Formats: sequence, C-alpha cells, structure tokens
Amino acid sequence: MGSPEAEDGVRISVRGLRVRFGAVEAVRGIDLVAYAGRGTALLGRNGAGKSTTMRVLAGVIPPTEGEVQVDGIDVASAPLSVKRITGYCPDVGGLVPRATPWEHLQLAARLRRLDAWELRAQDLLERFDLAAAAHRVTGGFSHGMGRRFSVVLAAFGEPGILLLDEPFDGVDPLGVEATQQVIADAKARGAAVLVSTHLRDLAMEACEDVLVLRGGAAVAALDAADLVGEEGARAYRALLD
Amino acid sequence: MRTAPSWTELSWPELSRGAGDLGALFAFRRHGLADSSRRRLRASGLVCVALTVSAIVVPAYLRSALSSDRVGHLVAVMPSFYLGFGVLAIMASVTSGGGRELVPRDEAVAFPVSSVTEHLAALLLAPLNVAWVIQAWAILGATSYVFGPHALAATVVPVLLWIVLATAIGQVVGWTFEGLRRGRHGLLVTRSLSAASFAGVAVLVLDDHLTTVLDHSPTVSVYLASLAGQTGHWARWAISLAVLLALIALAVLAGLVPARWALHRPLRDELRLEGERHEPVANPRSDLAAMLRLDRASIWRSVPLRRGLLVLAMMPGAVALAGNLEWRLITILPGLVASGGALLFGVNAWCLDGRGALWRDSLPVAPGLAYAAKVIVLFEVLLAAAGLTIVLAAVRAGLPDRAELAAVLGATVVVSAQVVAACLGWSVRSPYAVDLRSARATPAPPVVMAGYSARLAVVTTVTGLLFSATSLAPGPGPAILLAIPLLCWSGWRLARTAAAWSEPAVRSRVIAVVAS
Repeated sequence: MGSPEAEDGVRISVRGLRVRFGAVEAVRGIDLVAYAGRGTALLGRNGAGKSTTMRVLAGVIPPTEGEVQVDGIDVASAPLSVKRITGYCPDVGGLVPRATPWEHLQLAARLRRLDAWELRAQDLLERFDLAAAAHRVTGGFSHGMGRRFSVVLAAFGEPGILLLDEPFDGVDPLGVEATQQVIADAKARGAAVLVSTHLRDLAMEACEDVLVLRGGAAVAALDAADLVGEEGARAYRALLD
Repeated sequence: MRTAPSWTELSWPELSRGAGDLGALFAFRRHGLADSSRRRLRASGLVCVALTVSAIVVPAYLRSALSSDRVGHLVAVMPSFYLGFGVLAIMASVTSGGGRELVPRDEAVAFPVSSVTEHLAALLLAPLNVAWVIQAWAILGATSYVFGPHALAATVVPVLLWIVLATAIGQVVGWTFEGLRRGRHGLLVTRSLSAASFAGVAVLVLDDHLTTVLDHSPTVSVYLASLAGQTGHWARWAISLAVLLALIALAVLAGLVPARWALHRPLRDELRLEGERHEPVANPRSDLAAMLRLDRASIWRSVPLRRGLLVLAMMPGAVALAGNLEWRLITILPGLVASGGALLFGVNAWCLDGRGALWRDSLPVAPGLAYAAKVIVLFEVLLAAAGLTIVLAAVRAGLPDRAELAAVLGATVVVSAQVVAACLGWSVRSPYAVDLRSARATPAPPVVMAGYSARLAVVTTVTGLLFSATSLAPGPGPAILLAIPLLCWSGWRLARTAAAWSEPAVRSRVIAVVAS
C-alpha cells in the first residue's frame, strides 16, 4: 500500500475480520487500514465481501471474529459511537420509500445533533441536482437519483469516516462529478474515505490506496497508481482470477 | 399515444398457458420455503381439511341434541348467510386490489406472467384469508345443522359450489373495481360507488326493508338445492348443481376480462402519491418524534395501508350500526379491527422502511428507541381504527353503563397490546422483503399471512368474549381485573422481543432481509 501518514493518522483499523451468515462465510480474514485525508478503494468481483466489510464498518453488521476499530472505537462493543462518526451510503436502496429527501435529512440531522444544517442540505441537494425533488417521496426516484441522494445522506453530517458502497452505480456524469467532489472535500477536511465499486477508473480517481478482495479475503493492497490505465486494468484482471 | 387493446391474452391457448404458468409459479414459491416451513404448511393444510370436515359433520349430529326451534330460526336466515358470504368474498377482493399476488410484483417483473395467471392465482389464494375460512365453515356448519345427518353430502355439495361461485364472482367485482380505481377519475368513481352502496344499505336498514330484500336473495336457490338433496328430489338437485357449475365456469372466465383490463392500467393513485409534493414541516423536537414521523409517513402515504385501515375502521362499525349491536357484543369488534390492521403491515413492521432499513440502522440511535417507535406507531394506528369502529357502533348502542364502558375500553387496549406484542415478535423472528406500494401487496407471503391471521383471530376473539362477559357485571371491576394480567403478559412479550432486537446479530439479520 502507498505511503501512509503518521501512525496517528489511522482512522480505520481492521485485523482478521471474519463475518459468517449461518454456513456462509462472507468475509474470511480481512486486514485493512485507512488513513485520515486519504481514500481507500475496495475492489473485487461480486461476492468478494466488499459490502459486508462496509456494513461492519458502519456498525450495521457485527463482526463474527477479528478486531475492527474506527477512530479507536471498537465496532463490536460500541456500534452506536461508531455510527456517530460515520456516514454510510449502502449498496442497495438506502432510502425509505415513502419519505421525502427533506424528511430523511431532518431525521439524520436530529439523530446526528446537527445545528443549522438546512443551508448545507440545500447546497448538497443542488450540487447533486436533487433540489427539485426534495419534497417528493423517494419511492418515485430513478435508480440514479436514489444513488445520488444516498451519497448526499452519507456526506451530509461531514463525518470523519465516509463509507460509500457503489456510489457511482447507474449515476450520470454530473452525479459522478458531484460524488468525486464530495469525496475530495471529505479528504480535505481529514476524513478517511472508503469507496467500494466495480468502476476501477472512477475509484482510482477518488482514492490513493486500493484493497482488492476475492472470495471474502484480501488478495492485494496497492497504490491507486498501480491500477491506472491499460496496464492497471491487466493487473486488476489478473488479481480477480 | 393510445394503443389498441390486445385480446390475445383472452384466447384459449393463452388460458391453457396461463394455467400451466400457475403451476410453475406455485413451484417457485414452494422452493423458496425452508423444510420446516413446508412441514408446517402441510400440517396446517391437514388441520384445515380436518376442521372443514368437522364443520360439516359435527353440527349435523348436534341437531337432535338441541332445540328444534333453533333450526326453524336458522332455516329462515340461511339464504342471508349465504349472501353474507358473497358480500365478504367481494369485499375481500375489492380491498386487496383484485386479489393477492402469488409472486410479488418486483419479483415477477422478470417473468412473462399473464393476466390469466394473475387472475387464476388470485382466485386460488382467496381462501388464504381467515375471514373467508371462518365464514365458509360457518355456512357449511349451519347448513349441516339445519338439514341433519341424512344425505349430508347431497345437502352440503350445493353450498360448497356456492362458496366457489361467490369467490369467483368476488374476483370479477374486485378486478372491475380495481380497474375503475386505476382510471383517470378512479378515486372519485370508486368512492362514489362505495358511498352509494353504503347509503343504499343504510336506507334499507332505516326503512326496515332489509328483510324483504334478503328474502328475495338469489341464494334462496342454493338453499333449495340443498333441500332437494335431502328430500331425494335428485333431478332438481342435479339441475341445480349443473347450473352452479356452469355459473362457476362463467364467473371464472368472466373474471379474465376485468383482470386484464385492470392489470394493464397504470397505478394512478400510487403514481400520484409518488409525484406529489409534501410540504416540509418544522424539525422534530426529539429523537423519538423524528423516528415516528418517518414511520407515520410510511403508513399514511401507502395506498394499500391507508385504504385498508379506513375499511377496517369503517366496516365493523357499519356492521354494528346495521345490526344494532349491544355493548356486550361490541367488545368483540376491537379484536377484529386490531387483527386486520396488524395484517396490513404490523406482522412485518420493519417493512415500512423497505430498502431504507439499512440506512436507518446506520444512524446513531439506540436500538431500543428504534424499537419503541415501531411499537408506538403500530399501537396508535390500531387504537385509532378500533376507536373509530366503537364510535360508529355506539351510534345505535346508546350510552353504556360503567361495566360496559370498562369492558369495551379494556378490550380495545388489551387486544391492541396483544396484537402489537405478537406482531413485533413475528417481525423480528420472520422478516420479509416486501414493497407495500401496490394495493395487492402483503407484508408476508399469502400462506404465512393465513397463519398469522388465524392466530390473531383466535386470541383476539377469545379476549373479546372474555371482556363481553365482564360487561354483564354490576361494575367495572372485573374488566379492570381481567385487563391488568393480560396487559402485563403483552408487556412481557414486548420486552422479550426488545431484548432480542437489541442483539446486533438479530438486528442485522432483520435489516438485511427487509432491505434486500
């Protein structure tokens, strides 16, 4: 992996993470470190364990084994504290179908204890071209609109840890641009950003570090520069088999 | 651009293909069940068959043991009983948007499921409704009680055929109503039709003409067919059966036309709700208020939930109005309303969040508070619906005495608590991923819903009857004494489920399933 910042810049530390769902082991011993002000891409095929790892970091799924710390807080023992410092964009849906974006933001602002949040919310909605739909229920949104708004919700509280699972999936170029800007802003204010995606080129634009997963385990930790361009595509392809 | 109607779905080859597809869809559903669920399903089926046979046989042999006067009274109302079943079949189909889905819409979208298959599936799923089953048992039992054990099979067969015919007619009306609802002025048309129907019945009741109308019910022929079977008039009996069979075939085929018409129309009401602007209101003052606001929006902005709650609140009250129910019988109504309300979404409470469940669970809020929000929102909905029913029923019941008032209030609070406790338990143990957007959607698969509804009906009816008994007491004491332990029991069950919900592994399983 690329040159890390000082040791105290570590915001996410995962050692030997395992997650089992009954007989299925979705994650089989992943180690991961993410640093303040840097983006880390989680790459891999379907079922590689990317989304499950993200859910563990968001405090939504408890780890079966291993040590997972977010800003020094153990996820297994203090998930609520972890939720306070993370912003999470889930890979599927992520929106309450019969609530409006504004109602989602009101709930998030209340539970995250955000004051005078309205201007920032309005700004984010405009940047993601969602201002006109702010008071319509999300059940009528297109897939791309839903993805864009999930990114808004994740970034809204300016969290120290930004977890974006498939943020570019089905999103138009303007939405991709806005998402990249949100990631850049988060890194600039010292947040650790994790991006899980199948779109390698976009991930390389957003991140400095890369972890490639296969079958629930990490197979490579690289610099983003190693996976750029034609040569990077070949290297990535080789890691998937 | 208008498109010409395609009638290819109504051809004989399509009918045959649709029936074949039905088998494939049933197999698809069956394969989705765990082994334990299949065993439970088989056992439930056998119990249902055994209870149906008992409902037919046992009353026939009770006749001699009971007063013959009662038989005489029953004979006079048998055609009305049969007609009542027909009304129930129509109401069930209308309120479920034409009938239940064998495969939810979002799962079926990848398959070419024709309106023929949809219609036949809705017809076959109609009996998975506890009200349908209990009414069917009631009319079968009443028939065998009236006619006795002699030529029992011959007397019961016409009623069995009537049950099938009424269900098929219910589907025809249900699809037609759904088709009208999906039209440009659908809401206005269907609400006007409903209001006119209620007004018509009200006029008949107030003018004392209801009995005269019921005496001319076409179901008199069903009773006469049963009588012909018992008295050995076989030619008349056979002709009646042939007519009933022909009408069944006709009604099943006739249902294809409105089914196709309705299913090809856009879901205007649902689309309107999705496109509607909801003006923002002031920021919530507490975490719980914020959670409740989203849950309430999820209920009242869902077409099937809104409509279902309204029907549930109004129908038993209207029946009580028409039947001039006394207070001691009104104690049973809250149980009916609470059970029905729970079946709209409560049995799978986290389905209100849909795919947003994952995001909601990622918010920094204590699990206990998220759980409390679901308990409160379900409780308040059930209490509101039951309250409206009681108000309607009270119009003709007059002022209750203190014991009756305590009994009705006790029954309302206790059955609501019982239903909420049962529902939250099921919601945590057996969550399902469902989209409650369509009026035909249910919060759990139809077979599971039948099991839930049977269990809720038994518990709430028994509780209602217990409170009915307390209404005969001289004061409110017995009702209060009965309510306290029952509320404590429900409270303990709610606390037990809350403890399970607080486990991260349990919570993550529920959330993952609901959001998938």
